Amino acid sequence: MFRTAITVLALAMCATAVQAQTAQEIVAAADKVRNPDKPFRVTATVTEYRSGTAVDRNVFDVFSKLDPQTNQFRDIMLYVSPPRDAGKMLLLNADNLWFYDPASRQSVRISPQEKLTGEASAGDVLTENLAANYAAAILGSESVEDASHRTRPCWHLDLKAAGDAATYNRVEYWVAKEGDEPVKAKFYADSGGLLKVLYYRLDGASTPSQAIIIDAVNRTLVTTVDFAAPHFQDIPDEWFQRDYLPHLKIE
Amino acid sequence: MRRTAILLLCYGALAGPAWAQSDLDRIPQAASAAPPEPAPASDRVVYLQSDLTLNSAREGLPVPLSPPPQWEARLFADARLSWQIGGDLSVSYSGRLNLRAQDGLAFPGRETVRHDFREAYLSWQHGDWFVQVGRINLKSGVGLGFNPTDYFKTRAVVDPDSADPTVLREDRLGTVMAAAQALWRGGSVTLAVAPKLAGETPPYLNTNLPGFDPGFDRTNARWRMLAKASVDLPGGLSPEFLLYRERGGTQFGLNLTEGIGQAVVAYVEWSGGRSQGLIARALEDGAETGILTSPPPFRVDTAKAFRNDLAAGFSYATDIGVDLEFEFDYHQAGFSGADWRDWFDAGSRPPWSGEMWFIRGYAADEQEPVARNSVFLRADWRNALVHDLSLTGFVDADLRDGSGLAQFAANYDLSPRWTVGALADAYCGRARSDFGSLPKSASVLAKVSRYF
Repeated sequence: MFRTAITVLALAMCATAVQAQTAQEIVAAADKVRNPDKPFRVTATVTEYRSGTAVDRNVFDVFSKLDPQTNQFRDIMLYVSPPRDAGKMLLLNADNLWFYDPASRQSVRISPQEKLTGEASAGDVLTENLAANYAAAILGSESVEDASHRTRPCWHLDLKAAGDAATYNRVEYWVAKEGDEPVKAKFYADSGGLLKVLYYRLDGASTPSQAIIIDAVNRTLVTTVDFAAPHFQDIPDEWFQRDYLPHLKIE
Repeated sequence: MRRTAILLLCYGALAGPAWAQSDLDRIPQAASAAPPEPAPASDRVVYLQSDLTLNSAREGLPVPLSPPPQWEARLFADARLSWQIGGDLSVSYSGRLNLRAQDGLAFPGRETVRHDFREAYLSWQHGDWFVQVGRINLKSGVGLGFNPTDYFKTRAVVDPDSADPTVLREDRLGTVMAAAQALWRGGSVTLAVAPKLAGETPPYLNTNLPGFDPGFDRTNARWRMLAKASVDLPGGLSPEFLLYRERGGTQFGLNLTEGIGQAVVAYVEWSGGRSQGLIARALEDGAETGILTSPPPFRVDTAKAFRNDLAAGFSYATDIGVDLEFEFDYHQAGFSGADWRDWFDAGSRPPWSGEMWFIRGYAADEQEPVARNSVFLRADWRNALVHDLSLTGFVDADLRDGSGLAQFAANYDLSPRWTVGALADAYCGRARSDFGSLPKSASVLAKVSRYF
């Protein structure tokens, strides 16, 4: 009896360990679908809808590269449109966030909060390295509707912030069992309140063609991010510092 | 009342499950369609702007000066362009063509058309090395109201349409120089050398601005050299060290920024070196350019001493999109209490009022504060009250006498290409104070811009 109890306990401990590892692996696999681990460039069209009507549209060229030292994505977001903002840039490099304005030829340091409230706030939920910044646990299996209203069998995961690099306290995450596709995520504040609901649309592509961010606080606000012309491109590490931004040539 | 409450409760009971299911329903139909094909990426910006300024003159100035023009109107085309002309070579141009009219200025006349030739330079990249030759706006500094390490700012602003330090940084002439920069992961070094190309000239008034003169007398009247190095340290600290040399001495500089938590960025900008005080330098410049022919009726300390300049502050980003900035500025070469007494006492006598205003004009031309201790407070609110409306306000106050400049600006983006805006300035303070002694008491500006 005692031996059986020990065996059951040992099996349970092993199962928990395997499941925890699996949860982290699922998130890591989905991260690779969201953001390839090779340096890439993509054009992102960010459209803001209020009460169902498009009120604002900004276009960015995004240069992204994983930093193997910190396991964080480094991004340069280059403003393409509207014309008044063309050439402005955001450098997002872990603790170093800079805004470059070609009119003044100066880079100004900004805080993570400014990143969250600016035009590029959508980039926050899209480029976060969930596997590196959060501790994942599997809550179970669940079928959820994706952005195209198809029912998808998913892993339902619970992600808890595991360090200062995590922007959110908690993330609920649904990853398709087939293909490790990210389907849906819910981002929570420290208070436990729901902040944003995110849906990915892949429609057969290897990377998302669209992300839809539904604001849970301002319920009239929905933001879509359409990705176009993604391609791998060599991006030197030197690009991800403020002094490089004036030299970045648009090709 | 009770019936209404029951109805609301019933509605709540019905709405609860519906709310939980409504995420997907909130996705707009239009979001399923592909967005318009984005235009090719470009860093070229061209826009037209028309603005009208109305000024209010102050009565009873303790140091007399002719009043500002009652109105100023301007139409300009502004362009920032660059072309890749070879694998590693590019050419850049930045400038503004102004058509202007103002109260008391002949129209049409030689002041009607003016070209502000901000930049034109050749860039060459070889690996992590960059070399630029031409007229370049090389800027430094992390301060928002005062940039003591922005050594090439002197005399570079021609005819600004706003006293906002952000605008003054954008619309200014570059300096003809050769600059080389080496970059590596997390750091860079820059060396810039600017030659003397023209002789010294006195500060211009807005009634005698040269039309198509490149203004090398403003930017290249002496040899200048700047070396600076920056590094990104672990933890987010980003120091920049500067060494600047020109006739008259060497200046050392430091810029430091650090993110604190999620919402605060703290910064310090310091510059120090042996130099004369503001009044001594202004009088020396006036004598050299032949404007001032006699010494002032008070004793001026002409000795050189190690003087410090400092801008220290922090920005705080609120979660509703309002960014607040607080900055303390210290300029040791500025006016002391005794300097202010001398300035007002001498200036109240007719023979000396022109000389006293020359000193203030010299400081403005050098973009150097007259105040020794001041505070700069600023608030920016994006999408304020309605979408695409930006509100900005700042106060620049002299801590000695409590006088200050307050500006409030509103800009509204009518479309991706059209913007309308307005701003109002108020120069407040007692008659014998820094800002209260200026000939302009207030101004308002209205503008419309079209981007291409």
